[in-house]
Amino acid sequence: MSSGQKKRNFQIEAFKHKVVVDPKYAEKTWKVLEHAIHEIYNHNASGLSFEELYRNAYNMVLHKYGEKLYSGLVSTMTFHLQTMSKSIEAAHGGSFLEELNSKWSDHNKALQMIRDILMYMDRTFIPSTHKTPVHELGLNLWRDNVVHSDKIQTRLLNTIFELILKERTGEVINRGLMRNIIKMLMDLGASVYQEDFEKPFLDVSADFYRVESQEFLECSDCGDYLKKAERRLNEEIERVSHYLDVKSEAKITNVVEKEMIANHMLGLVHMENSGLVKMLLDDKFEDLGRMYNLFRRVPNGLSTIRDVMTSHIRDTGKQLVTDPEKSKNPVEFVECLLEKRDKYDKIISLAFGNDKTFQNALNSSFEYFINLNPRSPEYISLFVDDKLRKGLKGVKEEDIELILDKVMMLFRYLQEKDVFEKYYKQHLAKRLLSGKTVSDDAERSLIVKLKTECGYQFTSKLEGMFTDMKTSQDTMQGFYATYGAELANGPTLVVQVLTTGSWPTQTSVTCNLPSEMLALCEKFRSYYLGTHTGRRLSWQTNMGTADLRATFGNGQKYELDVSTYQMCVLMLFNGADSLSYREIEQATEIPSSDLKRCLQSLACVKGKNVLRKEPMSKDIAEDDEFSVNDKFTSKLRKVKIGTVVAQKESEPEKQETRQRVEEDRKPQIEAAVVRIMKSRRVLDHNNIIAEVTKQLQSRFLANPGEIKKRIESLIERDFLERDNADRRLYRYLA
Amino acid sequence: MGVQKDRVKFNVGGRRFETTATTLAIAGRNSLFGAMFDENWDMDPTAAADEHFIDRNPDCFAVLLDLLRTGELYIPPNIPERLLHREALFYGLSDHLRAAKWGPFDGNTLRLSRSIPGRAPGDGTAIRAGPDGGCCVAHGSMVHVYDWAMEEHPPMNLDYQRVNDAVWVDSNSIVLSACERLGRDDGGMGLFNASTSELKYRFHVTHDDQVKSFTGGALSLNYSDYRLFASCRGRSNEYGVGVWDQVTGKQVDFFYEPPGWSLGEADKLQWLHGANCLMVATLFPRKDNCYISLLDFRDKERMVWAWSDAGAPVGDERRVRDAIAMEECGSICVVNEYEDLGFMDLRRSGGAMRWRSRSRLMKGKMPDEPCYPKLALHQGQLFSSMNDTISVFCGPDWVLTSRLRNGYGGSICDFSIGGDRLFALHSEENVFDVWETRPPPFM
Repeated sequence: MSSGQKKRNFQIEAFKHKVVVDPKYAEKTWKVLEHAIHEIYNHNASGLSFEELYRNAYNMVLHKYGEKLYSGLVSTMTFHLQTMSKSIEAAHGGSFLEELNSKWSDHNKALQMIRDILMYMDRTFIPSTHKTPVHELGLNLWRDNVVHSDKIQTRLLNTIFELILKERTGEVINRGLMRNIIKMLMDLGASVYQEDFEKPFLDVSADFYRVESQEFLECSDCGDYLKKAERRLNEEIERVSHYLDVKSEAKITNVVEKEMIANHMLGLVHMENSGLVKMLLDDKFEDLGRMYNLFRRVPNGLSTIRDVMTSHIRDTGKQLVTDPEKSKNPVEFVECLLEKRDKYDKIISLAFGNDKTFQNALNSSFEYFINLNPRSPEYISLFVDDKLRKGLKGVKEEDIELILDKVMMLFRYLQEKDVFEKYYKQHLAKRLLSGKTVSDDAERSLIVKLKTECGYQFTSKLEGMFTDMKTSQDTMQGFYATYGAELANGPTLVVQVLTTGSWPTQTSVTCNLPSEMLALCEKFRSYYLGTHTGRRLSWQTNMGTADLRATFGNGQKYELDVSTYQMCVLMLFNGADSLSYREIEQATEIPSSDLKRCLQSLACVKGKNVLRKEPMSKDIAEDDEFSVNDKFTSKLRKVKIGTVVAQKESEPEKQETRQRVEEDRKPQIEAAVVRIMKSRRVLDHNNIIAEVTKQLQSRFLANPGEIKKRIESLIERDFLERDNADRRLYRYLA
Repeated sequence: MGVQKDRVKFNVGGRRFETTATTLAIAGRNSLFGAMFDENWDMDPTAAADEHFIDRNPDCFAVLLDLLRTGELYIPPNIPERLLHREALFYGLSDHLRAAKWGPFDGNTLRLSRSIPGRAPGDGTAIRAGPDGGCCVAHGSMVHVYDWAMEEHPPMNLDYQRVNDAVWVDSNSIVLSACERLGRDDGGMGLFNASTSELKYRFHVTHDDQVKSFTGGALSLNYSDYRLFASCRGRSNEYGVGVWDQVTGKQVDFFYEPPGWSLGEADKLQWLHGANCLMVATLFPRKDNCYISLLDFRDKERMVWAWSDAGAPVGDERRVRDAIAMEECGSICVVNEYEDLGFMDLRRSGGAMRWRSRSRLMKGKMPDEPCYPKLALHQGQLFSSMNDTISVFCGPDWVLTSRLRNGYGGSICDFSIGGDRLFALHSEENVFDVWETRPPPFM
């Protein structure tokens, strides 16, 4: 370098020219893409090259013109949507929805194609800049420019509602079109569907059904109304399945339920001549089932039905049990109860879907009214007695079980189960002793049922009765095996040895037996006491029966089936032609009331009057004369002479039974009190009452006053004491 | 023989290819091929005369077409991976490419795929695997972000604030916590866009309705109800664990550090999904003692489990250097500086540590610049790093089943598992390794 050359400072210039893509290039590329978008919207895409457009969009993103591409897309698409919006607005009347639908499908197709071209932008540029993806953008723009445009929004809604109204009034509408339009709203997002359509739809529907339910109420009865409501409900469900969002089903059915059912619930149930009570009376299973299914859908619906049903059952049940006519015939009384129970069982199983709460309501209603009549336990036992005596003859085993099960059902409702037990014991004793019981299996089956229901204690005595019967049979066999030969010519004696306590014993005077019988009885007594030591036998002549062979004056021979008392009376006539009442009474020592009944049945029953009475009258007087009726004839060789017995208990007998029941309850209450106090040591009065009542529930409903008396008695006997500080507390004394 | 009807012809950058519509269908609707042959575009792929021109690199097209045909990726040596990734992105085949590159994660079949050198030597803070195969490396005030193809994105530069921890919220967002500098109201935590590195949101801490500046420490996420947890150190002793709602970004809770305990300077937070609580571990040497506790944030804030070695005579063999809760086994696993593992029962608070002395031999032959061991757990496999090796333990007794070692870069200061990959950051050279499982064999 020559020194002459002027020294020059080197300056390193910064590299100023960044490599920039020609801005015109971006503009040009965008023009191509914009043109393509126009062509796509104008259904003119066949001339476009996909590869070229894809590459152009790729290049714009690659060269950092993504922003330009995106904003260009927004404005171009907006432009087209506004054009579409105008053309939809311009559509006349019915073609409005069709135009909207066709534009919507155009837009969708175009959107898909645009998205294809801009796929690279969608995948890279949009996530990194957190912009809305192309597809979603297209939907949002449609929503803002078309669906939410002033002139379309309300018109769309009104048109849809008009069509739905038409369909509700029975016209056929284009469901396919509806489905497309609703689908569009759903595609635009759940909030658009809900806010722009569903909410107003529910409001309009509520108004519609409010008016309609009023109209229906005015012109139809309850059954028809329910039919219509059910049809409406199904229509709405069908509508949802055809062209609405599945999530709307619950909401629209809710509206129908509220407007058509919940708001008129009481009016429907109590509707005169067609409401619930009428349906129950007429066994309208179909209507009842409909009511149940519809009311189940609304709050408190079922409880409304249940309440009305309960009070209806209680009222009619009360009428039934307090009806003096019905009480005259216990069997009919119980049959009415069973019939009623069957009726409601059927209603609940056929119409109320075996609803547990309804079954409970039924049970509590029965429990309520059955116990209104204090004689219910007696009647139920009499019903069983009737069935087991004769009613079940020729009935199949399963049917017997069925009847017994039904009886058990009624038994369960009884609060005074111990009263039932008393009567049942009496009736069973009569059946067993008179050999009138039809089926031993049926008897035992019922005992087993009672046992499962009330426990071992309840039936132990009843079972004791069966055991006695069995042992007696063996005893008699033994007796005749020993003395058979020497007794062959005399009368035959059959003795039932009954354990005291197991049987309902009546302290009765033993009557004077005829001498032939007396000897035989003495023989048995010595035989029995010889085989069993330490026992005492007493004769219950009031409970026995006898078969007599009688020859009347005209030579006719008959076999007479009579009671022991009757036998004693008749045997007297072997030695006399005519006897007065007093003579008979003296000879037999039968208590006068029994004797009167006995004579009545021998002398006053037409066709069976083996005795003649002077004077002829219905009642037995003290100075009547009796003689053998020589003219007695009968078609049958074997004549059964029944005793005139009151089937139902007479008033004094009832009092007596009642008193015995009360007497039996005392030790049970005391035992319960002691059991409870033994475990609790200290308890206050109210709690004792509650616990005792609970413990005894399965047998009877204890009376608080009686419990109090028992507690006092226990205090006197030093089982319990009152607390010194708090008088309400009781303390157990060990 | 009938005429094959689904033949498609391409001309890619001048080279002819023929394939079938069936093969192209494998690309899916969200690819160039899917869009191109959609009926909307009315292009019949089988029109035999038509040859579809694509203005792209034919070599790469051949590789990608082969991928569609066989499902297997074979990259000839003359094609750089980066090029192939770019082309795949163009065609919309990136997902296919990624799926073919590596298989489901298994610690016992990992192979070293790449080592990526960092920009500065040594002293990396943390490496965190992203959910879809990428990762980020925190280094001083910088965070470098790599996508699954190991393309580096613009780094995040926090300008003199040292980054303490990073956590991926999703494949496109990272939360960073940073130290507060004295005299300035900065530091704290921010949400960053992973691809553009922009700061999108700053998380604030308020005490008594006043926004206070703080130093953000360890981070953890609860993915099921979108909660973000961070250990926080405020200036006026407001130490504790802050909780934010990820959706709203608002602070929803603050668990103040009880006296005699450490939460605000924690080294590690871990959300326990089943137990519904957060494990907070502060370890030596940040503090003289180690504190591990489980916090329950439901209704009233409670410390439901705690362990500390404070007060116990502790030798170096008993110093806990890292801890990890293992919910399936109901225990917490810890590691000391000789890579001995210790276990504690999570179901009983205050239980004793059971140490498993395994490698006392290590004593005495430590490298010049040792790194403290770190632990990780992934699908029942336990990972522990020690010096330049990562050990894999399996089974109920945690038997050592594999060792991962790369001779280059020195000790491993941090590692992370995610996106079916394991990333290991070395301390000496600031290089990080990518370990992945091979795709399953074809036979």
